[in-house]
Order: sequence, then structure tokens, then C-alpha cells
Amino acid sequence: MNGRIGLLSNKWKLRLYLLPAIAVTLLLVGHGMWSAVAQSFQTIDGEWTIATYAELFSNHAFFHSLKLTFRVAVLSTLLSLVIGLVMTRMLYELFKDSTLKILVWIPMLIPHFVAGYLVFLFFSQSGLFSSLLYQVGVLESRGNFPVLVQEKFGLGIILTYIWKEVPFVILMLLPVYYEIDHRYSEVVRTLGGSKWDVFKTVELPWILPILIETAVILLAFVASAFEIPYLLGVTRPEMLPVRAYEWFYDGDWSKRPLAFSAMLLPGVLALLLATFSIGAVQKHRLRMIKGRNR
Amino acid sequence: MRLFLKRLGKRELATSFVFVLFIILFILPFVTIGMKSVSEGWRWPALFPNELSLDAWRSIMKDPSLIESIVTTFKIALLVVILNILLAIPAARALSHYTFKGKSIIEGLLLSPILIPGILLAMGLQFTMIQFDLADKMIGVVIVHLIPTLPYAIRVMRAGYERMGSSLNEQAAVLGAGPLTRFLTVALPLLLPSIRSLMLLTFVISLGQYALTAIIGGGTVITLPLLYYPYFSSSNEAVIAGFSILFALLPLLFIGLVEVMLRLVIRAVNRV
Repeated sequence: MNGRIGLLSNKWKLRLYLLPAIAVTLLLVGHGMWSAVAQSFQTIDGEWTIATYAELFSNHAFFHSLKLTFRVAVLSTLLSLVIGLVMTRMLYELFKDSTLKILVWIPMLIPHFVAGYLVFLFFSQSGLFSSLLYQVGVLESRGNFPVLVQEKFGLGIILTYIWKEVPFVILMLLPVYYEIDHRYSEVVRTLGGSKWDVFKTVELPWILPILIETAVILLAFVASAFEIPYLLGVTRPEMLPVRAYEWFYDGDWSKRPLAFSAMLLPGVLALLLATFSIGAVQKHRLRMIKGRNR
Repeated sequence: MRLFLKRLGKRELATSFVFVLFIILFILPFVTIGMKSVSEGWRWPALFPNELSLDAWRSIMKDPSLIESIVTTFKIALLVVILNILLAIPAARALSHYTFKGKSIIEGLLLSPILIPGILLAMGLQFTMIQFDLADKMIGVVIVHLIPTLPYAIRVMRAGYERMGSSLNEQAAVLGAGPLTRFLTVALPLLLPSIRSLMLLTFVISLGQYALTAIIGGGTVITLPLLYYPYFSSSNEAVIAGFSILFALLPLLFIGLVEVMLRLVIRAVNRV
């Protein structure tokens, strides 16, 4: 829409449209972030110091939490992406004009911690799978069932995230799969390409930007969410958000700066990751658009 | 059976396999929770409950803090949804229909709340909220729930605007429709699917917040998740199951309400 339609010029309309959302975001993120950074560098009495960071980096519990958080975030993101991608490829034609898509929405309707309870219900030592194996005669007692929930590796947490995020991945990918010009796939196949060739040369260039965006969103989410690890984690090592929450609410207020500095690290990491990957994708996108125009 | 399998192609077979998998993964768990909530003494290693009772539901309904917390949860989520609609629709329109300098920076800024840990922002905002007398109040919790919801809302609406394109809107303008008429008769009906997704998504995200509510609500604003955790560590499994069912029912109730309201709005618009 070039030129003027309506009362305001486009430039002013644009500002008016964007202003509320930008103002709210700046207030929440800008101010929240600034205040968090400031409080991580201050003592309770308001003196500026880097002692908090020195204390954090000499804290073993912190590094164990960091390792666990990193592992859980990377594993659950990668597995969700792979499973979601495979399911989307198999199902996009079925979903095209059907009400079956509602099925994918079901897990989206459930808060994360209820998904956590589901995993607990099925996979804990006294859960339903353990009962099933006992009834079939594989297990002698519930103690023989492997500890999958509330253990140190974070398996239960990873399982919960996969169950919750696979539908999210599918819903992100579905629109892109409808956009792909599938005549290209036929070209590859007629030229003797395998299924993998089709995926690599036709589908991947289309879905790569959205795949990376989804990966960044999932990584950042899993690394900073509190609800599931609080429910399904172990007391030690606990995931970073739980560790930070406990420092924040510790009766001892001197631990508060630790809470801020502990969460700032994943925050800054996520921001850097997002900036780099989205920048890389932008280049790739431009190349694709140029290629199409030629 | 074999004949049936033979007649199906490999592709159909794969599709129906995935379909069955979907049902097992996404529907069966809820049937199980439903059964659990009306069972009594369903313990390891029984595969099915041996006795049914409504005791769990009775004790849930008897809890006076529960009804209150459902009302609070619903009010907060409703306000969060409304604010998201008001903020996201114009922003999404601007992002989808205009190109301008610094667009990618603004896009990055609007997406940033899902990249920066919400718990960090909430902890950072707590002090300010106390200063402005927003902490320990519903309105403060509503504001902090915008952090995890607004980026998704803008994303969903933007996709909707991009699908719609601008040609129909331009045609209406050429035919002499004013901005409001254009929005109500052209954009709104075409954007309805996106608005529905936005409402559902933001409602569910708001419903699932524990940490943000606890930090800003300070224990005075009690939403459903805040009651859920203490119940989880108690040993009455039927009660936890009943609680989980409640969490699944609330969004459904909300969608139902929204559908009725949308129908009324559409009817009113059509009359104009």
C-alpha cells in the first residue's frame, strides 16, 4: 500500500501501530533486564561489586546445574526437532484439509507441569509402565524398574519437553511444508534422486530458517523454564532456573544477587545464539529469494 | 486383515501408523488421568482401578481456596488475552504490510521476551512493581504474564496478516470503505482463525505460569498452578489427577465462551 489511504500518512500510521507493543516490550524487557543486571552487580546495601560473579564461578553447585541445564536443553530440543520433522513430513498431506489437525493442538492445551505429571504417572517406578511390565512377568518388583523420573540425568524432564514441544515443532513446520513447491521433489525423483536427496535439495532449504528459529525458541525456553524441573527434578543438581528461584527466595537476602547473575548467563547466551543464527539465516533467505527471481 | 493391509499402499500404512501413534500419545494419557481421578486405591501393580469413587472430586470441590483460585486464574488469563489482542493486531499489521528502516531490529526486540529468561525479567521487575504498588496484585501478574505471551501473539497475528495479503483491503478502500468498516468487514473475518489461535495460545501460556505468578504475586495472588504444586507433593494421586483434568477443562471452557462471543460479534457486524 503506497501513498495515502485514510487520514494519516503511512509513516505515522506505522508508528502508531507499533508504538504500544514496542513500549510494553521495552518496559518489560529493557527495564527488567537493566534492573537484573544492576542487582547482580550490587550488594544488598547497594554497593557496586563483582563479588557475586566471583562467588558464582567458584560455586560447584552452579556448574553442576549449568551442565544439567545445557544437557537437558540441547537433548530435548534436538529430539523434538527430529521427531517433529519426521512426523510433519509423514502427515502434512493428511492434515491438508482435515480436522485431524486438532489432534496436534491437544498437547498445546495442557500446561507444561500437567505434562510433567503425565510423565510421572507413566514412567515412575510405581507408574503404569512398571505395572504393565510386572503384569506381563518381566519385572519382579518395582525396584527393578529403571529410575526414569526424578533422577540426576534429567530423563523425565527431557521426556516431558519432547511430548510438549513436538506438536509445537509440527505447528511451526506445517505452513512451510504447504509452501514448498513439490514439483521440485518430482524433478529430483525423475532424475534418480533418493528420498534423502529430495529432502536435502528441495525441502531443507525451505524449512531451514524456520527450523533454526524453532530451535532457538526451544533452547531458550527449556533452559529458562522453572515449572517442569521444579516438579520432576532432583534436589541436587537442580536445573538453573530452580537454583536461581531458590537463591531469590532464600530467607537470606544476600543470596539475591547470585540469583540474578546465575540467570543472566543463559539469557546472554540465548541472545547471542539468536543474533548469530538469525543473521546467518537472513543471508540464506536472501540467497533463496535471489535464486527464485532468476 | 491381510487383504486389507495389502490394499493399503505403503504411504497410507505409514500415515495410519502415525495416526494411531498420535491417539496413543495424545488421547490415551487423558483417558488415564480421567480414570485416575475417579479411582480409589489404584496402586502398583494394578493396571486398572479396582474401585471407583468420586471422593477426589468431592475433596477438590470442598477446597474453598480452589474456587477462588479458578476465578483469579480465569480473570488474569482473560485480561492477558485481551491485552495481547490489543497490542499484537496493530503491531502485526505494521510488520506484515510495511517495510521500513530498522525493521529487523524491531522484530528482534519484539521477539526478545521469549529469548531472555522470563524468571530473570520477573525477578528484575519485582522491585519496580513494589515501588509502583503493582506487586502482590492481579494487575502486576497480568503485566508480567505479557512477557511469555506477547511475542507468540505477534507471531501468530503476523502470519495471519501475511496469509491475507493486502489486495482485498485495497479493493474495499477503492470502493470507498472507511478504515473501521474495512477492518470489521474485510480483515476481521479473514483474521479470525489467527485470532482464535492467539487467544488459545496466550490463555494456555498464562494458565501454565508458576514462577512468574509467584514472584510478582508474592503469594497473595493465588492462581491454580500455585495450588497444584503442594497437591503434587501430597500423596493423594486421585486429587492430583482431578486437578490435572481441571487444567485441561479451563481452556476448553474458554474456547467455548470465545466461540459464542465471536458468533455474536460476527452477527452484529453483518447487520451493519
